Amino acid sequence: MTLTLILEQTFNGLQAGVTLFLVAAGLTLILGIMDFVFLAHGAQVMIGAYAAAAITQATGNFFVGLGLAIPLTFASGYLLELLIIRHLYRRDHMEQVLATFGLILFFNEAIRIGFGPAAIYSDLPPSLSGFVEILPDTPYPAFRLGVIGVGLIIALGIHLFVSKTRVGAMVRAGANNPEMTAALGVNIKILFRLIFATGACLAGVAGMMLGPLTAVQSGMGEPLLILSLVVIIIGGIGSVRGAFVAAIIIGLVDTLGRVFLPSILRLFVEQAAADGAGPALASMLIYILMAVVLIFRPTGLFPAKG
Amino acid sequence: MTGLLKFFGLVHAGISDNKFLWLLIAGFAVFPIVTQLVDLPFWNDVAMRIMLLGMAAMGLNLVLGYGGMVSFGHAAFIGIGAYCVGIGQYYGLMNGWAHILLSVAVCASLGLVIGYLALRTTGIYFIMITLAFAQMLFFLFVSLEQFGGDDGMSIDRAEFLLIDLYEPLRLYFLIWVMLAIVALLLMFIVRSRFGVTLRAIKSNESRVEAMGLVPLHFKITGYVISAVICGLAGSLFASWQEYVSPDIMHWTRSGELMIIIILGGLGTLAGPLLGAIVFLLLEEFLPLMLGALVPAYAENWMVLFGPLLIMVVLFGRGGLVGLIDSKILPHLGLGKTAVK
Repeated sequence: MTLTLILEQTFNGLQAGVTLFLVAAGLTLILGIMDFVFLAHGAQVMIGAYAAAAITQATGNFFVGLGLAIPLTFASGYLLELLIIRHLYRRDHMEQVLATFGLILFFNEAIRIGFGPAAIYSDLPPSLSGFVEILPDTPYPAFRLGVIGVGLIIALGIHLFVSKTRVGAMVRAGANNPEMTAALGVNIKILFRLIFATGACLAGVAGMMLGPLTAVQSGMGEPLLILSLVVIIIGGIGSVRGAFVAAIIIGLVDTLGRVFLPSILRLFVEQAAADGAGPALASMLIYILMAVVLIFRPTGLFPAKG
Repeated sequence: MTGLLKFFGLVHAGISDNKFLWLLIAGFAVFPIVTQLVDLPFWNDVAMRIMLLGMAAMGLNLVLGYGGMVSFGHAAFIGIGAYCVGIGQYYGLMNGWAHILLSVAVCASLGLVIGYLALRTTGIYFIMITLAFAQMLFFLFVSLEQFGGDDGMSIDRAEFLLIDLYEPLRLYFLIWVMLAIVALLLMFIVRSRFGVTLRAIKSNESRVEAMGLVPLHFKITGYVISAVICGLAGSLFASWQEYVSPDIMHWTRSGELMIIIILGGLGTLAGPLLGAIVFLLLEEFLPLMLGALVPAYAENWMVLFGPLLIMVVLFGRGGLVGLIDSKILPHLGLGKTAVK
């Protein structure tokens, strides 16, 4: 029983971790290369989720929904960068915070106008709603397993792209020293527009995968944004590898902490106190982790800036 | 006697250098008369909220605008100040001055600890670590079932010695007096040697260090002062709202405070107050305007507010105070008088 629970929750933690990584991967490059504080990245998650849910409802086919939503989120990121974001690179952090906060308000409200304030619940296609036995007598939802699989494949893809290709080398160079990279003849503006659109697309994919698991509603991206900022800070700004490691850590710590911390506390203090403090400590856990990391390694675990 | 004269001399110099700020504060003093004349007492409530948020924003501006430390977690101190009233009353402490002393003490010590830890980092990392501490406190209060948890707790208006806050306008003028005191205090701080050093650190930290000063000490002191001012605003906020919940320290409120400051004018004394006035008036009027145009969407006023913020960043450098200084005052032949 306990082993089953631990295994299940570890898988849930992994699933949360890879989803977080998809959101954080683009954002860490946006922060790292352009030194741009982009708070509206959560809105990209929401746009992805809504695009997939709406197209799925209209066509009745989950996979058509995914297939059309992915290029749509890429296009939305590309347009956003072209219309607004590129005018903000040279501003200081605070102005970027303000402008992208404005974007959050706009997107959340626009979605509320377009789709209504109520959450959309989407059903999974029958082919994905079954269970898989990960151990004998331990069924696990196939869709969540699929999310973990897709997330890991994308993570591997990003890793190969960043570390093995020419464009990937430009990305790494850009995160390390953007001025020098531009001076060496890399068109950093185009490079960044593509990274931005790809980041938006990845965040959108995270939203699409979260859609069937949670409620698709306006403002759904903001909790994920805060979590992925934590991930980026722990991993080191601009480091995709750091984002992956930190995302998995945060996913596991958050999920396992919420489930097991109250019972662990019960071993040390009396039950009433443990039940009171457990959930509090569990939701504070990742922020405590981040503060501790920053206090001992002020630039994160894998700093990209050389 | 000469000391007193010198003090009034300083006050006079300060006020004449910050005419715009004191014009705004004087405006708040006569505002209830106006609402009385036109019989719209509701607007007193809006004015109190403006003064409270303005006070908190002025406090944050000390680190944000003058010190260049972008703290994204100051809503936590507002929340702590408010909970000092709530939790104080829960344990039978009813005196409002005691609540204020308590919130000053708690916010100062908390600000000292958080400031000491967070100021080891800079740039984006500092933004995020302040956010992290605020989130920790947010979730702490969400899970404290004893004090209402997520739902919050209701509060009686505190008993201030000789001042019955249930009498009309007593709370209004208590808030007004506190605002004036905070403004006066900040005016002195900004003009003092400490304030000048803080600004010097913002523009070149290593040079300040080379002059034999320890920048960290100045930064932490500034951080603590701003935390205390936000705590004070928070404990008055609790009395005004007669209710406190973790919502008061949600991270979006930290964003709101930053917006108010940048909208009004970063690193100016009048900016945060002017920003609070414009921000909250927009919050009141945008739904009305949108409702008049498309009645079905009156609730969705943020769809206009968001782009408005982006416009402010793209076109309005220096905030509203900067705009008034560079565009409006010269046309009136007044020169630059409002800021600094």
